[in-house]
Amino acid sequence: MLLYPVSLIGLLLLSCILQQFLPVVSAWYDARLLILPLVVLCGSATISTAGMLTLAFLGGFLWDAQQILLVDQGDEIVYHSTPDSLKFGYSIILYTLMGFLMQGVRPIFQAGKWYLSAALTGVATFLYLFSEYLLRGFIIGGFSLDNGMVEQIGATSILTMLASPLIFWLLFRIADLCGHTITFQKH
Amino acid sequence: MKPLNFLALLLFIAGLVWVFTLSESSVRHIQKTYYSAISPIISKGGESEAFANDFIKEVEHSKDLEEKLTHSNNDRDRLSLIAARVWALEAENNELRAALNFKKESKFDVVPARVVRRQPQMWGKTIEINRGSEKGLLSSMCVLASNGGLVGRIQLPANEVSSVLLITDEISQVSAKVEGSTEVGLIVGRRTTYGETPRLRLRYLSKNAILHKGMKVYTDGRGDLFPADIPIGTIEDFEVGPVYGEADILPSVDFSNLQTVFVIADSSID
Repeated sequence: MLLYPVSLIGLLLLSCILQQFLPVVSAWYDARLLILPLVVLCGSATISTAGMLTLAFLGGFLWDAQQILLVDQGDEIVYHSTPDSLKFGYSIILYTLMGFLMQGVRPIFQAGKWYLSAALTGVATFLYLFSEYLLRGFIIGGFSLDNGMVEQIGATSILTMLASPLIFWLLFRIADLCGHTITFQKH
Repeated sequence: MKPLNFLALLLFIAGLVWVFTLSESSVRHIQKTYYSAISPIISKGGESEAFANDFIKEVEHSKDLEEKLTHSNNDRDRLSLIAARVWALEAENNELRAALNFKKESKFDVVPARVVRRQPQMWGKTIEINRGSEKGLLSSMCVLASNGGLVGRIQLPANEVSSVLLITDEISQVSAKVEGSTEVGLIVGRRTTYGETPRLRLRYLSKNAILHKGMKVYTDGRGDLFPADIPIGTIEDFEVGPVYGEADILPSVDFSNLQTVFVIADSSID
């Protein structure tokens, strides 16, 4: 019963490693394939709400451990305005919201229409990045929305979405090996 | 709600409360542990990034070559290629020579390092270098380019690699002075999108400051973070706000082409 969720956590850790090997596509809006969020999103469509919460928590935790920037401050007299940065753990909330979005179409996914969920990973990634960008603007200040930013977020979402069938295929394979039922129909 | 889901939700909320109440030192410890764990992979990841970039350049280069072939003869193209290669080697040679001279002439005790990854983060402006705590690098050590310009400071040192926070990041702050004036202020990074030249902002200047385009900006050594007199950039524009004046700064470092950097390994900053 627990073999599949544990395997998913293993896959999540593996994606942390893989993420280090994925370069920025500088020729296409500086897009990047966000494999760790993708594993969380795809995994969320294949497990129960309890499993999704666990996955989102771990995924967000690992992501923030990698992405949050903390800097030492010098003398307070000189550096009087401490720059704000996002709070460690904010990604957990965003991942959970995106996880619930994926769970929303789980009945369709369980009916075998995995491609709708695959398309939804692109939408969820876009929403996630856009929310993150808005949060940064709100906390750090200097909000500005230009075409370049939307293009970068859009290209990253598309690139991530294009990799989702591969992750779903991997999840189906792992589920078969673990004896876990993902879909109601035999695929 | 199913009992299992309810239990999971309770645990999730408890986990969230724990995460959001972590102290800054605990977060740093978590990040350092995580970074140390993945640091052996980062060097390899940097190699894959370099390979991908080389491949893209190669493709672009091939397209250029195809166009040239249609407009000129084969011999001239071949010679052009050879010349281009010589120029590339010459440029590389000049850079290495500058780096070597910089190390020799530097008034600081510096550790040279190679940039292994650019843009490892989605939003944050950082790079990763192939030197870490094994070479004595510590958090907050100052990082310079081969032209002597300020690059940033060490954010997370692992054993063999370190993450460097660039001065172009929005949360970076550098105490700075303007050459030929008594003006001092704080340099902060400006948000830019892909392809844009990174810009800096010099804040907290006096409203009646007399500043012109082209004036040089240096670190002023105050605040215990950066040594004095390191070039940061030149003034592009000066604006007077309601309380303070602010200036746009063009960095003295070409951040898109950073290959070798130098970490000031002095334990104390003058």
